Amino acid sequence: MDVNAASSTVRLPRAGDRPSFDDVVAEQLDSVYRYLVYLTGDRAAAEDLAAETFEKAFRSWRRFDPRRAAPRTWLCSIARSVAVDWFRAETRRRRREETYARDVDTTAEFGDGLPGPLEAALRELAPAEREVIALRILLELDGPSAARVLGISHTACSTRLSRALKRLEEMTNDVDR
Amino acid sequence: MSTVDLLRAHAPSAPDALRERVLAARPTERVRVLRVRPVVVLAGAAALAIAAAFVHGFTTSAPAPVVVEKAPSVLRGAAATTTADSTAKLQTRVAAVPAQAAGRLQHTDASITVRVDDVGAMTNRATQIASSLGGYAQSVRYRSRGASYIELRIPAQHVKEALVRLAALGVLVSQQISIDDLTATLQRQSDQIAQLRRRIAALNAALRDTSLPESQRVLLQIKLAESKRALAQRVHGRKETIAAGQTARVSLVLTTRKQAAAVPHHRGRLDRMLHSALGFLAVEGMVVLFALIVISPFVLAGALVWWFRRRAVDRLLME
Repeated sequence: MDVNAASSTVRLPRAGDRPSFDDVVAEQLDSVYRYLVYLTGDRAAAEDLAAETFEKAFRSWRRFDPRRAAPRTWLCSIARSVAVDWFRAETRRRRREETYARDVDTTAEFGDGLPGPLEAALRELAPAEREVIALRILLELDGPSAARVLGISHTACSTRLSRALKRLEEMTNDVDR
Repeated sequence: MSTVDLLRAHAPSAPDALRERVLAARPTERVRVLRVRPVVVLAGAAALAIAAAFVHGFTTSAPAPVVVEKAPSVLRGAAATTTADSTAKLQTRVAAVPAQAAGRLQHTDASITVRVDDVGAMTNRATQIASSLGGYAQSVRYRSRGASYIELRIPAQHVKEALVRLAALGVLVSQQISIDDLTATLQRQSDQIAQLRRRIAALNAALRDTSLPESQRVLLQIKLAESKRALAQRVHGRKETIAAGQTARVSLVLTTRKQAAAVPHHRGRLDRMLHSALGFLAVEGMVVLFALIVISPFVLAGALVWWFRRRAVDRLLME
């Protein structure tokens, strides 16, 4: 499948066409949650971060301009910023805990009923790799929008997605054998 | 089923509890926001700067007010500058230079600019005029591009005639005349001289007394010497004052037609307005450039911080 050709299903609003926040929550909550689950690899954390994302989005709702970005892209950018803070806090926490005890085994569950080998393979990927998969495959953002969320070029985004999928398939095949 | 299809088919869904939690913070009303784009702000600022420049140009290009010469007895800094077209008017003004007031000592200081065709010949003519009136040329300076600066000393009683004749050398471009009344100064100096002479006479009389103790004599001699020195200074000053009152100083500038034509008052209103507006725009540009120079290090530092933070995030998510 040509992933790069996958087009976003998000309707780009016309100038001045501003959706209500209720509509945005109803339409985009699943997308934001999925993105955060893939990025963090932790469902509980993803729930908290999703809630925090929408709180932030609500606070900056006045500044949101539908002509500049689709709501999904805008929310994913906020979610990424929130998640990066969480990663920093997690890194500090792990460093502290490594001194006293072994790391707690947090088995991530990325999909609802996802086959075991694929779950295991996703777990092996770096957050940045899972992130690009979430944006381009689960959320079906187009290349430029995904690149914008990640803060990288369109080419770099395509390269990262391609490598991530390749690794994922390699690991899945290894587990199957 | 491909990996991509599997991932899509088993994508996680947000729990209901999370949906309720998020909806609890929803806004109560629709918000309509007018977003001002930076390019609009920049365009507005540029339009404002240009408008300010033209307003400045318009207000500063108004016709210059005519300076009216003050009347007679003490003319200090009364100046009149006008175009060459009003030569006749200036000739009248030169003719209207007040004559020496009878019984008063006055110093006249005049500077006139005359546009001539031949600077060298007219310079000679000017010195001849001064000589014919009993005066002299104190200094003559030529400038490379057809201009000469002549300092003339003219007897006070002939200054009016001298100005008229010098103005007739060509087209009178500008004139400035000031007259200082020196009578009071002369009177004060005369009084001081008389007082010092009386004092010296008294000291001499005292010193002729043979019964005067030696210490007192020395003291009086010192005072006498000081008084004589002061008297000499006052006498010298009085001579200078009289000399200043007897001769007028005339600064004459002779220029060619080309230079005189460069006088800014020859510009039209529109030309002056554009010139002034462009000058104002240049000043605005310099201010903006200065501001950019000042803030550029901070912008660079901010960009570096942003870049390092982005690298750190990339490393964090690639682990």
